[in-house]
Amino acid sequence: MRKTAAFIGAGFLTITTAACGGGASTGAADKTLTISESVTATPWDLAKASMGPEAQYYQPVYDTLIRLNTKNEPTPNLATSWTYDKAETTLTLKLRSGVKFTDGTALDAQAVKQNLLHTKSGTGTAAGEIQDIASVDATDAQTVVIKLSHPTAALLPALGQVSGMIASPKSLTNPKAPVGSGPYRLDASATTAGQTYTYTRTSGYWNAKAFPYDKIVIKYLADPTARTNALLTGQLDGASLSLSKVKTVKGRGLNVITYQPGDIEGLFIWDRAGKIVPALGKLKVRQALNYAFDKQAIIKTAKTGLGEPTTQLFAPWEEGYDASLNSTYSYDPAKAKKLLAEAGYPNGFSVTMPDLSALFPQEQEALTQSLKNIGIKVKLDNLPSDQIFSGMLSGKYALSYFKLGAPTSWDKVQLELTKNATWNPLKYDDPKADALITQISKASGTERTALLKKLNTYVVDQAWDAPWTPTVNAYGTAKDVKVTPQPGINFPPIYNFAPAKS
Amino acid sequence: MLVFLLRRIAAGVVLVVVVATATFLLLSLTGTDVARNILGESASPAQVSAKAHELGLDQPLVVRYGHWIDRAVHGDLGQSWFTGDSVNQSLANTLPITLSIVLVGMLIALVLSIVLGTVAALRGGWVDRVVQFAAVLGTAIPSFLIALVLAVVMAVQLGLLPATGYVALGTSPSGWLQSVILPAVALAVAATAATAMQVRGALIDVLRADFVRTLRSRGLNTRSVVYRHALRNAAPPALTVLALQFIGLIGGAVVVEKVFGLPGIGTLANSAAVRGDSPVLLGTVVVTVTVVVAVNLLLDIAYGWLNPKVRVS
Repeated sequence: MRKTAAFIGAGFLTITTAACGGGASTGAADKTLTISESVTATPWDLAKASMGPEAQYYQPVYDTLIRLNTKNEPTPNLATSWTYDKAETTLTLKLRSGVKFTDGTALDAQAVKQNLLHTKSGTGTAAGEIQDIASVDATDAQTVVIKLSHPTAALLPALGQVSGMIASPKSLTNPKAPVGSGPYRLDASATTAGQTYTYTRTSGYWNAKAFPYDKIVIKYLADPTARTNALLTGQLDGASLSLSKVKTVKGRGLNVITYQPGDIEGLFIWDRAGKIVPALGKLKVRQALNYAFDKQAIIKTAKTGLGEPTTQLFAPWEEGYDASLNSTYSYDPAKAKKLLAEAGYPNGFSVTMPDLSALFPQEQEALTQSLKNIGIKVKLDNLPSDQIFSGMLSGKYALSYFKLGAPTSWDKVQLELTKNATWNPLKYDDPKADALITQISKASGTERTALLKKLNTYVVDQAWDAPWTPTVNAYGTAKDVKVTPQPGINFPPIYNFAPAKS
Repeated sequence: MLVFLLRRIAAGVVLVVVVATATFLLLSLTGTDVARNILGESASPAQVSAKAHELGLDQPLVVRYGHWIDRAVHGDLGQSWFTGDSVNQSLANTLPITLSIVLVGMLIALVLSIVLGTVAALRGGWVDRVVQFAAVLGTAIPSFLIALVLAVVMAVQLGLLPATGYVALGTSPSGWLQSVILPAVALAVAATAATAMQVRGALIDVLRADFVRTLRSRGLNTRSVVYRHALRNAAPPALTVLALQFIGLIGGAVVVEKVFGLPGIGTLANSAAVRGDSPVLLGTVVVTVTVVVAVNLLLDIAYGWLNPKVRVS
């Protein structure tokens, strides 16, 4: 019996000792960067690619036409320069010479043209970002001319993300493995689809210095607790964190960055015409909703203090943002009740909302309680997680908690503020806003910025929604890895990772 | 026995078809807008329609079912609507992970339940009471809680075993054992508790049987009576419970895999269910039901081996 116990003990010791010694890569020491993704990869075919966190899977292999720097500004990459015409409907790009795909094909204007048209023809979210492209011409081997159906500030940011990624023309449609011109190539032998993706350095890459790691490993880990544990135990060099884990990770001496991906969250008022709840058709009622929320308290409890109160749909770095608007509605439940009474609802009213407490428990609680405090009775309608979008878009809810996310302010306008916008489920129409939006679609430069600001002010004054705060994301890295945050992007791009200087 | 097994196999095939068809219908009736879920909140209605057309979601239900079943009987379970990955390949990648933690968990449960059940039945008194109390505790504590505690204590605090991830058996046997031991233990606790009580009860009954008294009267020592005769007769009910536990463990693997970041079939099924990825979910259902049918067949064979009367009947 003692021998058996000793054997089992020795076996366990061997296993656990090996566990300690056989951990994952650790940052720069072996020049491997191991990070995790919270979502699975979308297809390698860029026409079917997604633009969100999935971008990290593509970044090692597919280079982008332009590079968005840490301030989200376009900088040269495959395109060394670009110019717009006066009307901002024609963009001329000059391409870097001598760049080749890993299959030996030259990256030239024809390849870029084929890629942009191929991606645009697809059904992925990357395709959706370049639908304003009317035509693409390759005027010579290094020059691409993109014609737009109307001016848009969204094109350059899109060309710096998945929509602007360039694959080898020989592997455009349904490739089994990605073939690009990026700093790395996919190592199929060390990759298991849906689980682990390994990328090894491409020799001769023109900008190798910008990528200090020889190997990048991306592991799919859906559960935030598992991601945090893997980071804490050194199995990962980088992982996105839920806000509740930030303190723990910092407490263990690891690095944590926080940044705004550009989403704005809060109470969204879908029924501004009062079709479902007549009260919401009145401006004073919508303004009352804006006075009902103690945003600082919500940020403190639901966001662990990470965030800043806002009243507008645009993020601070976006065109048309106006910091002065954020003081329009401060927390004042007494004023909210007074406005409701003035609007003819001294006893409040009832409203049915989708119950999102399975996904956003604290936000849903804050929403329900705050409305109750000013006399609005909330009835919650259970909505399964796979039916959230379809349920909310069905037009049966007057209000709901929501996060509006889009790469630029103009995208947000098109996403929620136009009559036929996707997130205008009750097709609310305001002629004054329509006129402004039409003007914006034809304007460029400072004129467009001024018009976007005017629209932003109008939307806040008319209390179209009751935003609380821009969403804040957190990302943790090992002690020897530094990552630079980038606003407007869900996960830090791989070119923002580098060994930390000790 | 052969005819019996062939009948059971035929019934198993019918069961797989019925469950897959029911799953297909249930998924189709949920009203999930899969195209919208794939493209996210920023996609326009036109893009959503185009995606729905690409996936064939605009076709009648019967046509879609026909396409799926036609491909399925030819061994092709389709492609994920979200990742584009082959479902067959995804299942081939994930099934070994789930089977690893479930089988190791079963092995742990089998060994511990026989030891604990036998000790409780033979010793009685305070030993029996402690085992019974531990069994109640083991049944009451949910496996995800055990998994969380194991992950935090054994991996994060003590650093004895990896917190997440899976190493294939072929890559490194010791790495494989490291990666599956904690999830397997988390799964094994409840199975051990239930099976140990079954072993204890069945053994107590058998030890009171006439044939045991006869064996003892013929001068056989206790060890021989218990291990050669009584345990063998007490095994069938315990095996039934263990087989049921196996099915339960596959279900429990969904949560345990999540805690340990294991990309097994539970994780695959979970993410497919949350997003409405029908081809993947159908694939996981087909494979899971097939595994359950296979386990029940093995159980029948084991019954026959343990009890010759079953072979005759």
